[in-house]
Formats: sequence, C-alpha cells, structure tokens
Amino acid sequence: MRILKIMPEKCTGCLRCEIACSYMQTGTFQPAKSVIRVSPFEGHTSYAPYTCPQCAEGWCMTACPVGAITINAAGAKDVLDDTCVGCKLCTIACPYGTMFYDPDTRKAFKCNLCGGDPACAQACPTAAITYDDVPTVDWLGDFAAERTTRLLAGVR
Amino acid sequence: MPARHLIIGGGTAGMNAMRTIREEEKERSELTLVSAEKPYSRMVLPYYLDRSIAESHVFTATAGVLAEWGVKAHLGRRAASLDTKANVCTLDDGTTIAYDDCLIATGSSPVKAPVPGADGRGVHSFWTLDECRRLIADTRPGSHVVMVGAGFIAFTILNSILARGATLTIVEIAPRILPRMIDATGADVVEAWLRKHGVTIRTDARLAHIEDVPGARGSKTIRKRLRFAKGADIVADVVIMATGIRANLEWLKGAGLRIDQGIVVDDHLRSTVPNVYAAGDVAEGRELISGASVVHAIEPTAQEHGRVVGANMAGRQVPYRGSLSMNIVEVCHLDIASFGAWDDPKAEAVTGVKSDRSAYRKLLWTGDRLTGAIIVGLSSAIWTTNDIGMLKGLVHSQVSLARFKDYLRKNPFDIKPAYIASKATSKLLPQTVLGRPSKAPGTTPVAV
Ligand SMILES: Cc1cc2nc3c(=O)[nH]c(=O)nc-3n(C[C@H](O)[C@H](O)[C@H](O)COP(=O)(O)OP(=O)(O)OC[C@H]3O[C@@H](n4cnc5c(N)ncnc54)[C@H](O)[C@@H]3O)c2cc1C
Ligand code: SF4
Ligand code: SF4
Repeated sequence: MRILKIMPEKCTGCLRCEIACSYMQTGTFQPAKSVIRVSPFEGHTSYAPYTCPQCAEGWCMTACPVGAITINAAGAKDVLDDTCVGCKLCTIACPYGTMFYDPDTRKAFKCNLCGGDPACAQACPTAAITYDDVPTVDWLGDFAAERTTRLLAGVR
Repeated sequence: MPARHLIIGGGTAGMNAMRTIREEEKERSELTLVSAEKPYSRMVLPYYLDRSIAESHVFTATAGVLAEWGVKAHLGRRAASLDTKANVCTLDDGTTIAYDDCLIATGSSPVKAPVPGADGRGVHSFWTLDECRRLIADTRPGSHVVMVGAGFIAFTILNSILARGATLTIVEIAPRILPRMIDATGADVVEAWLRKHGVTIRTDARLAHIEDVPGARGSKTIRKRLRFAKGADIVADVVIMATGIRANLEWLKGAGLRIDQGIVVDDHLRSTVPNVYAAGDVAEGRELISGASVVHAIEPTAQEHGRVVGANMAGRQVPYRGSLSMNIVEVCHLDIASFGAWDDPKAEAVTGVKSDRSAYRKLLWTGDRLTGAIIVGLSSAIWTTNDIGMLKGLVHSQVSLARFKDYLRKNPFDIKPAYIASKATSKLLPQTVLGRPSKAPGTTPVAV
C-alpha cells in the first residue's frame, strides 16, 4: 500500500500541505480544517507535519458504532459522511490523535489519502511529504526527541 | 459436522462476535442468534431522539443481512436458562437450542431510583429503542424535562432534549454532576458551562417521591411532581430516570458460571465453563494497564470483547490484552472526556484550568507513565480533539514520559511534543486487537 512518507528534516514549515489539505477535504482554504498538522519544534526553528498513519488496527473504524468508517480504494480509513452520527467515539478510540471533528457539520473527519492522490504530497515544495509504497513507521519520533531538548531545558 | 455457535444477545458484543466468526472461520459454522431485541446500537439512540437520523439508522443488521451472513436468528426471544452440562439453552417460549460453544452478551438494563411513583406513567428510562420512541412521543417543544441523575448516560441525551425544544432540569443525589466520569474540579467547569446554557442543575438532591399533578378535567397529558428529602418540589412534563444500570444476568441462575461484578472471564474471555464465553457489559475481564478484573460497561469494550470471542470461537487462540475505560460526551459544544484510572487516589495528579475557556486537564501519573486523564474543553478548539486522542494514546501505549514529566507538570495543555518525542507511535503501530489488520465493516463480512 502507498502511504504518506514524512521526512521531517525537509520540512520548512511553509504550511502549504495544510492549505492544500483543507481545500481538498472541505473546498475552503482553512488550515483549521486540515487533517495534516505542521507542528513547530524548538521555538519555531524546525517543523514537522503529522497525520494519520492508517494504522493496521484502525481503532477509529472498529470503534464506530454505525460502521461509518470504512477502507477506501487507496487503502485509507475513510469516514462516510452520510453514516456518521457525530458521536465522537472514534476521536477517543484513535490513540494517535488523528481523528478530527467538525462542529459545523457534526461529523468526524480524517485523512483518507484523498482517495489515492494526496494533495499534501503534491503541494509540498521540498518533498518532505511523499506518497510511496513503503511500510509505515514512526516518521517523527527520533526527529522530535532530538528537537525537544531546548524546550525541556527551559523547564528546569 | 460443522461447529454450532450460539450467540445470546445481538447488541454490540454479539454483532462483533458474529462478524468476526465469519471473517475468521476456515469452515462455515452453524451460527444461531437469540436476541430479545433486533440488533441496534444503543449509543446511537440520542441522534434518533434529536431527529438528526431516521429510526432505521440505529440498526446494525436487518433480518436480510443476518440471513446473508447465514445466521439463524430468534429475534424477540429471550434466553431463559442455560444448562452448561447438557450444552443447551432454553428460550422463553420453551424452544431449546443445543450448542458446541456459546457467547453470553445480554448487556444491561436501566435501574430506576427506588422511590414511590418511579414506575408511574410519564417516568421514563432511556436505554432501549422502545424507551427512546416513548420519550420522543412525550417530549414537545416547551416541555419541562427533569432528568434524575447526572451521570454519563444522562449527558449523552442532554443535547437531544434541548434540540427538541424542551427545557431541562437535572437533579443529582451526589454533591456534583458526573460523579463517575470526572473529578470535582472538572464537574465545576461543566456545571458552570451548562448553567450558562440555560440548564438548571440541582445537586445534593435526594428524590423522595413522584406523584401525578391533577390536570384540567379531560386533559390527557399528565404532569409530575417530584418531591425531595429537602428543598422545593419540582413539577415536570416528562421525567427521565438515568439512575444506573444492572447487567442482565438473572437468567443465568443455576448455570454454574462464576459471577462476581459480572461473569468472570479469563484472557480468552471464557467463563469458568470453558465453552461458554462472555462479552460486553455482562463480562468481568482484564483491564489493560493494571490487569485487574473489571466490568467496563462501554461500547469499545463490548466491541473488542466481541471480536476476540469471535476469533476464539472460530478456532484461533487470541488472547485479549485488556480493556481501557474511556468516555467522551459533548454538551452544548463542550467536550468532556476521561480515560484510564482518572480517579486513582494513589496516582500523582497534575491539573490545569483555563476558566475563561472552560478548559480543564488532569493528568494522572504512576511513576513516569500516564495511567489516566480527564479533559474538558470547547469542541470548536481542534486541539481539544487531537489532545484527547494523544492523551488516550499515552495511557494506552504506556510509553515512558520520564523526560517530559516536568514539562507536562507545567504545561498540561501542551501534549503534542511529548507525545511525538516519546515515540508512542512506534509502540502503537504494531498493535492490533486480533493480531491482524482489521477488516472494513461493510454489510458482508470479508474472510481473512
Ligand atoms: C443512550 C445511550 C448512550 C450510550 N452512549 C455511549 C457512549 O457514548 N460510549 C460508550 O462507550 N457507551 C455508550 N453507551 C453504552 C453502550 O451502548 C453499551 O455499553 C453497549 O451497548 C454494551 O454492549 P453489549 O453488547 O454488552 O450489550 P447491548 O448492546 O445492550 O446488547 C445486549 C443485547 O442482548 C439482548 N438481551 C438481553 N437479555 C437477553 C436475554 N435474556 N436473551 C436474549 N437476548 C437478551 C438485548 O435485547 C440486546 O439486544 C450508551 C448507552 C445508551 C443507552
Ligand atoms: S463520530 Fe462518526 S465516524 Fe466517529 S465513531 Fe461516531 S459515528 Fe463513527
Ligand atoms: S485515524 Fe487513528 S485509528 Fe484511524 S486509521 Fe488513522 S491512526 Fe488509525
């Protein structure tokens, strides 16, 4: 399966992925409705995008009481709007924090890999996000562990 | 001869078990379902109550779907007794069903506060589709609804009652609302929010008696007067008792199963009689973090239990890692969530409040690990939703947060750096409930 491969070292924090994602998902340029999120590290000196890893369990999918989350042709877990009742159980079941909820429509939403042509990967000018046939791994863990040193030093 | 599986109870756990049996089995088995009600999801009823979905939306399988799955269904029938020596279940109409193995997934029933008048007309419970239909019929715009009990289930229908145009008063015997879901500080934040949104709340209110208010001559509607141990009476058009639930276990007298808080099950969800499984609200099984034996009467536990039982009934040996307590409810656009051991008195608690934003966090630490959490926050703040998931992941994965403990002590609202840098993701990615990727939930179960 092709997935979103994320190479945080290449991210410059330009937020184009968020804008492309929100446009693709909701038809509006509203980063608040993007399901890929760029996080700053070390006082905005580095950045990394974070989104649903399309985990094998699919905790969101197995938790949904009405079967509103399915697997689309691209292999992504995808919310069926007409079936979702807005109960939010998926938001608490997903242990990655990558389920979203739109209070306007009262529906859950998430990364569905744009059905097989992810807008974020297309929009990323530095190829920090690519759409590749590779196994899913924790793309950000090591990067973030290194880039939280200053944040933590400030605590003491 | 194909194996004969009997599923008793066609709710969440029963449906998940049947689907998983069909996904996992090598050879088509005989699958029989006995269920007092048609298969539907109780937790979807609030959305039927507020009319955002049609009644048909609550059902998790129709007779047609069950036929397609090859399930012999006895709907509207109750299991009346179980002979675990002869491997026979007797139904309320005398029908007997022989089985090779069976699953008990009969769920819970609501329990009304034991006060005179609680059984009278116009005093509702809210647990079944029938009760939901009756409440819909009785609640009109302008009705004054009094909810007795301020627990989680009461809160799941709070928005729906307001959406029907009713005014709402909540009375609670405890000194605060949501006593079994969040702590006192969180409850204060939620209570202030609800008052601001026009909900009347009376805590420390011991209901003593409910009686009819004599109406105008010939009037068909009845009003209700609630009397309390102290304080003024309340007059209501509709009374809802959300005063607790009890597992449906009475029919198992004499079955020889060990029953404590629920049917005691091992890590394969087998009762003390090995070919009898139990799942969902009736089962007392392993808790994820402590390994203790607990009843978690929640949807995710019923789903996971059901799937694990299904895989085991189909002939695989699938141990269950344990259930994690988790609840989320939104009231008037305020999210309230808790999970794990949020009320553990031995845990080290870190809290943060932003009163101006009605936001509250409580992180519970056992050593370097998070073992429970409470979150209250506006549902319009996307970070609330993301943080709910990440905090759940930190509790679920039990990653060490040693490096971040001091930081989170001071910044309980900044979860994301700690989550990502603690590599919770690498610990979580290999985890699945059944030891394989999950199948999509379409109408036909897909064989693995
Ligand atoms: C209004 C409401 C909102 C809820 N919201 C949430 C929520 O947001 N999150 C959450 O986690 N949980 C929620 N719950 C709880 C959740 O619905 C239950 O925990 C879940 O349904 C338990 O699944 P189960 O399979 O154990 O039992 P059930 O789903 O209750 O199924 C039991 C089945 O057994 C049948 N039965 C009973 N006795 C017999 C018998 N003797 N013979 C044959 N059949 C029998 C019943 O008719 C029913 O079909 C909510 C419940 C309600 C009522
Ligand atoms: S919010 Fe929608 S998609 Fe999520 S669990 Fe509820 S019904 Fe399913
Ligand atoms: S939203 Fe969460 S649970 Fe669902 S597939 Fe993505 S990571 Fe898995």
